[in-house]
Amino acid sequence: MSATHYSEDDLTLYYYGEARRRDAIERHLESCSACASVYRDISGTLAMIAPPEAPERGDQYGLEVWQRIRHQLPERPEPWWATFFRRDRLVFAAAAAMLVAAAFVAGRVWPRQPAGVAPSAVLQTASGGPGSIAAGDTRQRILLTSVADHLDRSERVLTDVMNAPDRSDISSAQRWADDLLTTSRLYRQDALDAGEQSVAMVLDDLERNLIEIVNRPSKISAADLEQIRRRIDAAALLFKVRVMSDELRRREDAPDRSTPRTSTRKIS
Amino acid sequence: MDATEAAAVLDRARQGDSEAFQALVERHSRSVFRLAYRMTGNEQDAEDVVQESFLRAYRQLGRFESRANFGTWLYRIVSNCSVDLMRSKQARHDQVRGDSLDEAVELPAADVPGPERMAQSAEIERRVQAALRELSPLERAAFTLRHYEGRSIEEISAALNLGTSAAKHSVFRAVKKLRVALAPLRSQES
Repeated sequence: MSATHYSEDDLTLYYYGEARRRDAIERHLESCSACASVYRDISGTLAMIAPPEAPERGDQYGLEVWQRIRHQLPERPEPWWATFFRRDRLVFAAAAAMLVAAAFVAGRVWPRQPAGVAPSAVLQTASGGPGSIAAGDTRQRILLTSVADHLDRSERVLTDVMNAPDRSDISSAQRWADDLLTTSRLYRQDALDAGEQSVAMVLDDLERNLIEIVNRPSKISAADLEQIRRRIDAAALLFKVRVMSDELRRREDAPDRSTPRTSTRKIS
Repeated sequence: MDATEAAAVLDRARQGDSEAFQALVERHSRSVFRLAYRMTGNEQDAEDVVQESFLRAYRQLGRFESRANFGTWLYRIVSNCSVDLMRSKQARHDQVRGDSLDEAVELPAADVPGPERMAQSAEIERRVQAALRELSPLERAAFTLRHYEGRSIEEISAALNLGTSAAKHSVFRAVKKLRVALAPLRSQES
């Protein structure tokens, strides 16, 4: 039997397989009854302490945790470069650059308007007023078509979301809505510039609902989906989008542009 | 989710993409709950730790090094949240310190249940839990990581932001206290 004994701490580390002189301790325990007794007590005590069985959590637990915390998430400051290179900003920048280039080309190619005529926006110019000219007609036709197409695409996204099953993955609708959101802002601004208040109002309603769709979790809960549906219903958005799209198509096809614009009527 | 996909999600989450962070929450919630439950020994406390851990992780995500393992990083946060919660609970309960240990351990010899009853695992479990509750938050956390989670002293010191010696001694103190607390059970066994 060895003269020196191992401490309780050494034996605890030995139990957990972390002792440095493991072989020496093993040999010592075979020959030293005092240390062997302490070790038996340590190992016997620790053997009694079994891991507690945690209550089971289902497959949806992660989603439940997310629902609990998502409204509490603090704002995290983005790095400057992330802010600068955000996708929507790039899209805006590209759109702005294209508009500038188009305006430059238009100014070079097309005849100037007579002095005294206000540089009205494209929709207004082509709506049959006294300053109506071929170039304005062309630009208005493009804009009417673009906005009508945009409304058709938006209608499809809204319909998809309205008909989505509970707890389904709406990530593709969200990506689509995100793209439409950027375009919608540009068209709304154009509509405002052109004095097309009713078009701008529908686009504004549309944007609010697209934002709601984009900002929800892609694996949407039944409650969130119901909330979106109620918002869309409450705003009669699908109806407004369809009516506005039809109206823009009619104006686009109308041979006589001197007829009063119907888009100024309020859709509510 | 494979490693490449997981790295991409993590990268997006670090840049503030809440949808990517949601994916991380959904992926790790169950293991976080399991650890939190072992640390706190209480379901409601474990739920609080889960919630606080993810909020803390979100706030600190910018400081997370992409080369590190997210699970390990999160596990450290959970350990520290558990210690913080246990400390705050302990502070609240200090004034009305319970007699759970007295009940469980320092019973007069006549009150010690007989061998048949002691053999019941539920009773052992109750006494073990009572003994664990008497550990300090740090001792309990260190012991949980060592005993239940099989973490090395080095890993415990990293998880709890302690020196190796402090981590080791937290485990030693916990084992000493548990040995004393559970001695009546051992003596009934032998």
